[in-house]
Amino acid sequence: MNTLNVQLFDLTTFLFGTATGSYIAALYGKKEFLARIGTWICAAAAIVSTAAIGIRWIESYRMGIGRIPVTNLYESLVFFAWSINLFYLFVERKYGSRSFGAFVVPIAFFTMVFAFTIESGIQPLVPALQSYWLHAHVITCFAGYAAFAVSAGVAVMYLLKERRGGDKVTGGVLALFPDTKVLDDLVYRAIAWGFPLLTAGIITGAAWANFAWGTYWSWDPKETWSLIVWLVYAAFLHARITRGWHGRRAAVLSIAGFAATIFCYLGVNLVLSGLHSYGG
Amino acid sequence: METVTDVRTEPVPVPAAVERKRGKPFATEAWNFLISLKLAIWTLIILALTSILGTVIEQNQPQDKYRQVYEDWAYNLMDRINLFDMYHSWWFLLLLCLFALNLTCCTIDRLPRAIRTVRKPKLILDDVTEKSLGLTERWKSKGAVPQWAEAYKAALARTFASPRVTETDGAVHLYAEKGVVSRFGAYATHAGIVIIFIGAILGNVFGFKSYLSIPDGTEASHLDVRGGKEHLDLPFAVRNNRFWVETYPSGQPSKYASDLSVIENGREVLRKTITVNDPLAYKGIWFYQSGYGEAGGATAQVSLKRPDGTSLGNLSLAPNEPVGIEGYGTVRGVKYDENYQGNGPALQVKIEKPGQPASDVWILQGRPEQDRLRNDTLVFSFGGLTSKMYTGLQVAKDPGVNVVWLGCLLLTAGMMISFFVSHCRIWIRLSEGLKGKVEITAGGTANRNRPAFEKTFAAVLTEIRKEPSDNAKENPA
Repeated sequence: MNTLNVQLFDLTTFLFGTATGSYIAALYGKKEFLARIGTWICAAAAIVSTAAIGIRWIESYRMGIGRIPVTNLYESLVFFAWSINLFYLFVERKYGSRSFGAFVVPIAFFTMVFAFTIESGIQPLVPALQSYWLHAHVITCFAGYAAFAVSAGVAVMYLLKERRGGDKVTGGVLALFPDTKVLDDLVYRAIAWGFPLLTAGIITGAAWANFAWGTYWSWDPKETWSLIVWLVYAAFLHARITRGWHGRRAAVLSIAGFAATIFCYLGVNLVLSGLHSYGG
Repeated sequence: METVTDVRTEPVPVPAAVERKRGKPFATEAWNFLISLKLAIWTLIILALTSILGTVIEQNQPQDKYRQVYEDWAYNLMDRINLFDMYHSWWFLLLLCLFALNLTCCTIDRLPRAIRTVRKPKLILDDVTEKSLGLTERWKSKGAVPQWAEAYKAALARTFASPRVTETDGAVHLYAEKGVVSRFGAYATHAGIVIIFIGAILGNVFGFKSYLSIPDGTEASHLDVRGGKEHLDLPFAVRNNRFWVETYPSGQPSKYASDLSVIENGREVLRKTITVNDPLAYKGIWFYQSGYGEAGGATAQVSLKRPDGTSLGNLSLAPNEPVGIEGYGTVRGVKYDENYQGNGPALQVKIEKPGQPASDVWILQGRPEQDRLRNDTLVFSFGGLTSKMYTGLQVAKDPGVNVVWLGCLLLTAGMMISFFVSHCRIWIRLSEGLKGKVEITAGGTANRNRPAFEKTFAAVLTEIRKEPSDNAKENPA
C-alpha cells in the first residue's frame, strides 16, 4: 500500500498522460478546445504534484527523518517533472500558444512514468547528503534542467517547421506553430534561464564538494557531465550570435544539450560509477 | 567578445580585426583566429566531446585493472595519450589554455571599444544614427525649440533617465540611457572563467591533498602528499579522541563523527567534533571526515572479582596476548564465539598458573556469575568485545580556493547582467521647422530584449508627449 504522497504522484502521472493526449489530439484535430483542456489538466497536475511534494515533506518529518524531498532518484524525477510543468505553463501563458504542449508535456509525462516504475519509499539521508548545500544545489540544477527540456521541445518544433519551408507553410499542423522567429527566440530564452541556473547548480555543487571533501572539482563523471552540458549550451549561446550558426544549428545544439542533460542526470548514475549514486 | 545578444537591434559592428586584415598577413591572421567566435564555439564543442572520454574510461585506476579490460596494443596507445589520466594530460591542458587564450584575446580586442562606447556615447541623433535605429517617431509641435527641449528633458528624466543635452547648429539633442552595465556582462563572465583557472593553478602549485588514518586516542602530524611521492610534517598534530557512528532506528548510519584536538607545542589549542559536511580548519589546513575502520583486532573486556564480590578491576585482552595478574598467573583471550552452544556471546580464556597445567575456560557474556562454579581464587566475567576504531581524514590545503570563489561570483554576476540587463538608449532631436513649428524626432534602441524595449519606448513617448501639451495649454506661447 503506497502512502498518500505516492498516490498523488501516480495521479499526476495520469494527468500528464491525459494532457499529452489532449495536446497532440488538439494539433492533429485542429481543435483549440482540446488544447485548452490540456492546459487545465496541466494546471491540475501542478496543484496535485505540489501538494504531493508538500505531503511527502511532512511525512518525512513524521518518520523522524525530516528532509527536503529531493534526495533520491524518485524524488528528483518528480521534482524534475514538476519544474518542467510549471515552466511550461509559464511559457504557454506568456507566448499565448498551446502548440508547445505536445512537445514539452510528454517530457514531464515520461519522466513520471519512469518514476512510477522505481522504488518510491522515503529513505533517511546518508551522512554525505546532510548539508544545507543540498537544497541550493538540487533546486538550481533541476530548475535548469526543466528550462532545457522546454528549450529542446521548442527546438524540435523549430526544426520541423523550418524543414518544411518555415513560415511559408500554410495548412497542416505546422501552420499552428508560432513563427520560426518566435520559436528560435523561445529556444534561446529558455536557455537564458536554464544556463545561469545550471551554472549556479555547478557552483553550489563545487562549494558543497569543497566543504564535504576538500576538493571543489575532482573530474567525477557527474561533475564532468555537468561541465559537458554547460559547454554545449555555452557553444549554443555563442553560435546564436555568429552568422551561419543561428537558427538550425542553434536548434540542433539545444537538442544536443538536452540529450547531454538527460545523460548527466540519469545516464551517469545508471551507466557510469561515481560519487552521485542516488539514495546512498 | 559579445555573448548572448537577444534579438539584435543594432547592426553587427565590423570587428576591428577585419579592418586590419589587409595589414601584416601572419600576425593578423593568427590574431583573427584567436579572437574569432568560431574558435570559441569549436573549443567549447571539442572540450565537451573529449571530456566524455574520461567519464567512459575510468580514470586513475591501477594498471592491472586496465590490462584486464584492454588488449596490449590498445592499452599502450591509450597510455601513450594519457587517456587514463586525461584531465591532466598535456593535450587537455593545452585545450584549456587555448580556451583561456581565446577568452583573453577577445577581451583585449573588444573591451576597449565597449569602454569607448560607454564613455563617449553618441550624443547627437544625426541621419546615419537615425537610420540605424529600429524605433523612430517624428512629430511637430507649435512653439520654440528651447521651451520644448526643457519640457522633454524634464519628462525624459521622470519617465526614463536623465538626458544629456547637446546643441548643434539649429538643433537640440537629448540623449538618455539605462542599463549601461549590460555592455560589460560578457567581459565579467569571461574574466570570471579566467580567474577560476588562476585559482585552480594556485591551488595545484601551493596546496596539497592528503589522507590521514588516526586510531582512537592517538595523534598524527605526518602527511604523504602527491600520491605518496612527497612527505610533509604539519607544524601541529591532530589527535583523534574518538570516532563513532550514529544510526537511524532502521540501523542505517546517520552520522560519522570524530572528536578531534589540535595539539601545538604540546598544548591542545583547538577541539572540535567533525562530521561529514562539517570539517575542522586550522592554519589554512582542513580536515574532513572521510572514512573509518577498525584499528587492529578487537579486544575483549574482562572484569575480575574475588569470590566475596570485591571488584579487582578490568582487563583488556588483545587476541592471544597473555596478561599477567599478580599472585595469580597469566590469562589470555583465545577464542570468541558469537553464540557459544546457544548461550550467546562467549570468550574462551587460557589460564596459566605457575607450576600447574594450563586450563581453557569459556566465560559467557550473558552469565556474569557462572565462573564461580570453577571455585577458583578469582572470578572472571566477560563484558563483550570492543574494537578500536580509526578515523579517516581527508586533509587539504588550497590557497587558491578563494580565488576560485571570486571567479565564480564574477561569472554568475556577469551572466545575470548578460541575460537580464539591457542597454536602452533614447534620443530626441528638436529643430526649427516651418511656420514656427518645432520638428521633433525620437529614436531608441536596446542591445537585448527588443520586444520589451518597444513597449518601454512607446510608453515613454506617450508620457512625454502628453505632459508638454498640458503645459502648452497653461502658457500659450
